[in-house]
Order: sequence, then C-alpha cells, then structure tokens
Amino acid sequence: MQTLYLAITILALLALVFGAILGYAAIRFKVDGDPIVNQIDNLLPQTQCGQCGHPGCKPYAQAIADGEAINRCPPGGETTIKALADLLGVDAIPLDAEHGTEAIRTIAYIREDECIGCTKCIQACPVDAILGAAKQMHTVITAECTGCDLCLEPCPVDCIDMLPVEVTPVSWHWQQPTNLIATSQAPRSHGASGNE
Amino acid sequence: MSKIWDFHGGVHPVENKAQSNQMPIVTMAIPKQLILPLNQHIGKPAKAIVEPGDYVLKGQLIACAQGFVSANIHAPSSGQVSAIELRTLPHQSALTGTCIVIDTDGKDQWIALSPTLEPESLSNSDLLHIIQAAGITGMGGAGFPSVVKLQPKAKIHTLVINGAECEPYITSDDRLMREYADEMIKGIQLAQKLLGQPRCLIGIEDNKPEAIAVLTQVVGLLSKNSASTHPSIEVCVIPTKYPSGGEKQLIEILTGQQVPHGGIPADIGIVCQNVGTVKAISDAVMLGQPLINRITTVTGKAAANAGNYEVLIGTKVSDLLAFANVDMTKTSRLVMGGPMMGFTIQDTHTPIIKSSNCLLAAEDLELAPVANHHSCIRCGLCEVACPAQLLPQQLFWFAKAEEFEKAQDHNLSDCIECGACAWVCPSQIPLVQYYRFAKGRVKDLANEAHIAELSRVRFESREQRLIDDKLAKEEKRKNRAATAAAAQAEKRAANPNAQDPIAAAMARVNAQKQAKAMDAEPKSHTQKYKELKTAAAITRTKLNKTSKALANALAKDHELAQGLQTTVSELTEKAMHAQAALQAYEAKLGLDPEKEKTLQVDVAKANAMVRKLEKALATAEEPKDVEAELVKARSSQTKATDALTNHQANLKASPISAQES
Repeated sequence: MQTLYLAITILALLALVFGAILGYAAIRFKVDGDPIVNQIDNLLPQTQCGQCGHPGCKPYAQAIADGEAINRCPPGGETTIKALADLLGVDAIPLDAEHGTEAIRTIAYIREDECIGCTKCIQACPVDAILGAAKQMHTVITAECTGCDLCLEPCPVDCIDMLPVEVTPVSWHWQQPTNLIATSQAPRSHGASGNE
Repeated sequence: MSKIWDFHGGVHPVENKAQSNQMPIVTMAIPKQLILPLNQHIGKPAKAIVEPGDYVLKGQLIACAQGFVSANIHAPSSGQVSAIELRTLPHQSALTGTCIVIDTDGKDQWIALSPTLEPESLSNSDLLHIIQAAGITGMGGAGFPSVVKLQPKAKIHTLVINGAECEPYITSDDRLMREYADEMIKGIQLAQKLLGQPRCLIGIEDNKPEAIAVLTQVVGLLSKNSASTHPSIEVCVIPTKYPSGGEKQLIEILTGQQVPHGGIPADIGIVCQNVGTVKAISDAVMLGQPLINRITTVTGKAAANAGNYEVLIGTKVSDLLAFANVDMTKTSRLVMGGPMMGFTIQDTHTPIIKSSNCLLAAEDLELAPVANHHSCIRCGLCEVACPAQLLPQQLFWFAKAEEFEKAQDHNLSDCIECGACAWVCPSQIPLVQYYRFAKGRVKDLANEAHIAELSRVRFESREQRLIDDKLAKEEKRKNRAATAAAAQAEKRAANPNAQDPIAAAMARVNAQKQAKAMDAEPKSHTQKYKELKTAAAITRTKLNKTSKALANALAKDHELAQGLQTTVSELTEKAMHAQAALQAYEAKLGLDPEKEKTLQVDVAKANAMVRKLEKALATAEEPKDVEAELVKARSSQTKATDALTNHQANLKASPISAQES
C-alpha cells in the first residue's frame, strides 16, 4: 500500500513540476500576433496594389490565413501561388482572372511637363514612391515604385504612364533553352557550337 | 619545381592553337573610330567626363570610376569625341549601352605621361593609386577591377599568375608571355610588393613550350641576380586540361587548396592575376600608360591572317576582322571569346573591350554543330567532367523544372559555366545555358524579394504615419476645444451676470416671432383672392411643363416616363383642387370673373379703336369724318373704363368682405 501512495505522490509531484514549467513557458515564450500571417505576407509581392480586393498585402495575408483563396494576387502570379500552396499545404490553383492577369513588371513614369502638381498621386501611392509638392512638378522614385497602378486613376490630367522595367546588360539573363527532341524538327542549316 | 596537384573532372577538346600562335604580335593600325562602353568591367559603370565635340589626347581620362568596384576609361588614341550614345555592346544579350565614340585624327598624340623610374621607392598607396588611375581590370575575361584584388583584407601567402590559357583557339596570353616576359615579371614584382611579398607561382599549360622556356629563362636570370632582395617567382608547368585556367582550378592545381564555397581566393591567402593584367600593371607604373590596348587573338579557318593583334580598346570588331583578312562569307558564326565559354555576336560594329581576348571566325563545319538536343539518358558523363564537383544532371533537372531553391541547395552558384558538361553530353543538351538561366532567375528572385521587403517597410511606415497624423489631428482638436471651453469659463467667471449668449439669442428670436404674429393683420379678400389665383396659375404651369416633359420622355422611350406619369396625375389633381378652391372663393365673394373679363375686353377694344383712329387722323385726306369717329370712340372708351372701375369698386365694397373681416 505504501508503494502505491509513493507512486501517486511522485506522479502528482511530477505533474506539478511539469505543469509549472509549461505554465511558465506559455507566458515567457508567448508568440505575439499570428505568425502564419507574417509568413504569408513574406511570400506576397508587396506591390500593395489592392487587386485582390484588400487594401494591401498584409490584409490579404490575414484573409488567406482566415481561409480566403490563394489565387487572387496577379502581381505575384503562378510563382506566389505555388509558394503559398507549399506553405499552406493546399493545392496550387490557377490565377483568378477576376482579379487581373499576370503581366510583366511595370513602373510608373510621370510625364513631367504635363504634371500640374495636384498631389493626388502622392496621396494614392501606397509606398510613398512619388515625390513632389502642391503646384510643383512630381516625379516617381523608380527604385521604390512597385508598379501597382494606383496613381493612374486619381491623376486629373492622365500624365502617368506605366512602362515595363527596362532590361539592361546587368539585369539580362539567358532564357531557358527550348527543349526539343532532334527528331521533332528539321535540322538547321547553320552549325552552332559551344554551350549556347 | 614544386608539387602539382590535380582537379576533379576536366575535358580535352582539340586545342587548335597552332593556327594563331605562329606569328608574332602585330600592332593594328589606328582605326577611324573607337567605341568605348562605359561599363567594360564588373561593377558600377564609369561616368563620362568629356562632352561630344571635345578633343582628347591618347591616354586622357574620359570616364571616371564610380565607387570602389569600378574602373577609369582612357582615350586609346587622340581625336575628337563625336558622340556619347547608346551602341550595341559586346555582350551575350546584344543590348545597347552608353558608349563614348571617338573619331581618331591619326596623330596618336600622347598626353604628358609620368613614368616611374624607381618603383621600389613608391609607397603601396601610391602604387595602388597609379593602378587604379590606369583603369586596369582583369584581362582574362571577367574584367574585375584589379585594384580591388590587390588590397585584400587577409594575409596573402601566394600570388598565382594565370598563364594556363586552357580554352582552345586562344593564344593571346601565349604570345604575350613570349614577347613581354620582362614586363610581366616587373608587374609580378609590383603585385608582390603590394601583397606583402608573397611567393609567386606562374601556371602555364605544357602545350606552350616556347612561353615556358622564355619565362623560365627570365625568372632564372632574375633569381641569379637578386635572389636575396626579391621573393621567389616560380614557373609551374601544368598538364593541359580544360579548364585548368579557371581561377579556382588553377589554384587547386598549384597549391592543392580549394577556394571555399561562396568565398574568394583571398580567404585562403591567395590572389590570382592574369598574365595580361600584370603586364598592364607594369605599363601603368613603369611607363605611366593607362590601359588603352590589349592583345586579342583573331583565329578560325575563315581568318586568312590568323594571329595575335595589339588593338586599341574600342576598336570595332569589323575593323579588326578586316585587318586580319577574315572572309566573312566563309563563316556563319562569329564568336567573341573561346569556343567553350564565348558567345556569338551578330553585330560586328561592337567594340573590342578590356576583356575581349579572342575573336573566333570559324568556318561552318569547324565548330561542332549543335543539333537540337535529345533527352538526358542519365549517363553521368557530365558529373565526371565537372571541374567544380557538382551534379550537372541534377542541376539540369532543377533548372528545367524551375526549382531554383533545390538548384541552390545543389550549389548552383559554384558552377563556373566552363561548358565541360555540355561538351561531353552525348545528348547535346545545352547544359550551361540551363545553368545560366537558373542563375539569372535566382538573381531575379533575390532582387524581387529585396524590392518586396523595401516596399513592405515603406508601406508599413506610411500606414503608421497616416495613423499618427490622424491621432495628432484628433489631439489638436481636443486641445482647441479645451482651450475654448476654458476661455468661455473665464469670461463667465469675469462677468457672472451676463446671460448665456446662446440662450439670449434664442430669447431674442422667440420675441421677434411673437411680435410678428401679433402684428399680422387679417388678410383682405382681395389678397386672399389673389393668392388663390396665383396658386392655381402656378399649378397649371407646373402641370403644363411636366406634361411636356412626359411627352418628350415618351417620345424617346426614356425610363423616366414612369415617374413623370405619376407626377402628371398628381399635378392634375392639384390643379383641379386649386381651380375648385378659386371658383368656390369667387362664388363666395359673388364675383363674376367672366363679367370682369368682358369689361376688360371692352376697354381694350375701345383703347385699340382710339389708337387706330388717331393714327388714321394723322394721315387722313378727310380729317373731318375721322375726327367725328374718334370722338365717338373716345366716348365709348370712357364708358368701358367707367364700367370696369365700377365693377372693381363693387368688388371691394362687397358685403361678404365686410362679413369676413
């Protein structure tokens, strides 16, 4: 009988000790916020364009965490959908065309001689990438423009163009070779060599 | 001779060096035009400091290095800057870049040079400054600014000089070693001085016996004369194997050490320089000449005068090809660089730049023609050939499936793009192009991630700013309200008898209203009658207008028609009511509007008659008759007017009006 009491006492003590440790850990190592939202946010392209129907990437990340579809981000495109699917353990689905289609990255340019200095685009820019003051010419800080299009609509004189990002010899890189089986195409007339 | 090691893999393509290494270096005539891209090196492009129209002397600085990893550019010959514009670059992409274009005047007039007679007396910083000012970049192919390599942070124990020249066809380093051995050794000594006097190993492949002989002799003489004062320089003969000239491979051959993943040779105490680079260093210090020319091999069966040419940087490829008698009709493919690592150029108006070591104008069947590639058969030959000990096959699958993370995990970044894997591939898969594509995408993705991070930070700080602004505004408003309340309270405290101004104003308004009500007189009948009449008229007009609008809307089949229809019926009812009220009131007053109207018409008629007769009298031939009629008319006018006046007077004095009031 004594052994039984001893066992119960030891188990009770152990339970108390571990309970105390867990309780302490729960307070000491408490995680603030929802880490999954931040992880999703990290995968989104941060254009802050609102094409998904949310006022920015973080709100969309929150919505995805709450169960919204992962295919509403046109700037991120297939790459982002794939990454999100990997993270969340769901199937990758094609981009929802209702929210826009995947396009090449563009950057806003203000035709400066036409700008009337109304500051409307400055207020619309989600990343403060437009510089200017009332009745002064505005310009886009191209290094910080996300190409979200949000400045186009408020411009009263339509002096903002979205131009594709220029390819420079530094940013240029080889494309994937077109994979052909020799028998599927007639031989080319000229030889080529090396690694190209 | 010190021990020689081996590196993993490697291949033995046909060398084809004899085509171009028989002839001594020929200095090419000054071309008419020189094109100098601002970015011939790795790092930031230089900044042009001349303007179109400026006259420049040979060796004059025309573009300034921007930042630490960048290089100066000098005018290779005297002449006039004709333009600074976009020209096609000698680059795989065939994209354009900003170039300074100089139209040479043929005088080839040097700027005043300041050669150093006793380089031993120079301090290291002076020496580095001279090398930096001369715009020297690696002449082997990559074009990394040399001055950066010559001031490493770590302690250097070995300086490796790369004279391996392992790519087939190219012989520019071979000829340079044979003909400029003294300058090379001088350059090596300067580099040794800068690096803290490490030992020097010159690596040369055994397929260049003449170069080995010349250098061994020069080095032997040197060590005999000044063995005590100078650190050792050793010529190391290495077996011919591609790519022994790769920096990391040569270091492994000569020292047995491997450069760590993601590291640079300086991490293991080694610096590697090309033979052309040390010659350029010697020229810059001993002669004061900046880097304005280089030795370029022109070879291939299409070149009648295959050989090595000392060309000015900026010389057009087409000019050099013409000088070497290249028959462009015989070649379908012009390669800049060697057959293994070079790239095809389409536009022969691109210039020779600091890193252009070879132009290969091969005949159609000279280079192995690449058929469309077959499927990978997993033979594993590529793995055997890879000098970087990677798994080319795995990298190929990952690149093809765009699984860049996995490719990174398989050390994609360690690939030196030597092309050995593609050379051995029995399926002729363009493996290197897959790796280049994957590397490019990895770079793109990293760049995108960087931009995304930047955007996130900016977006979040903007949100925070907007919230702060809002809070600040709210705070201000509260403060203002508090101040106003305080001021009010103070006022009241100062004058306790004073009424509350709002209550006072309300009281005033009420008093006024009451007074008005008291003053208001009962309406006279005429007034009330008039009001009713006006109301009836207004409703009639409204009804008319709306009816018209309705007609319009119906005609145009407008959607408003429905609404208008209801309005019209409402107005009709209202108009009827108003008319009824008016008539009832008229009946009550005992008025006969018809009678009044008749009287009014009578008066108007009489008036018109009188006016007509008066006019007629002025022009009449028999005024007497007219006059009589006028008298008559005037009397009837007076009668009619009297009748109307009577009627109106009766209305005013009507008994009902007395009753009502």
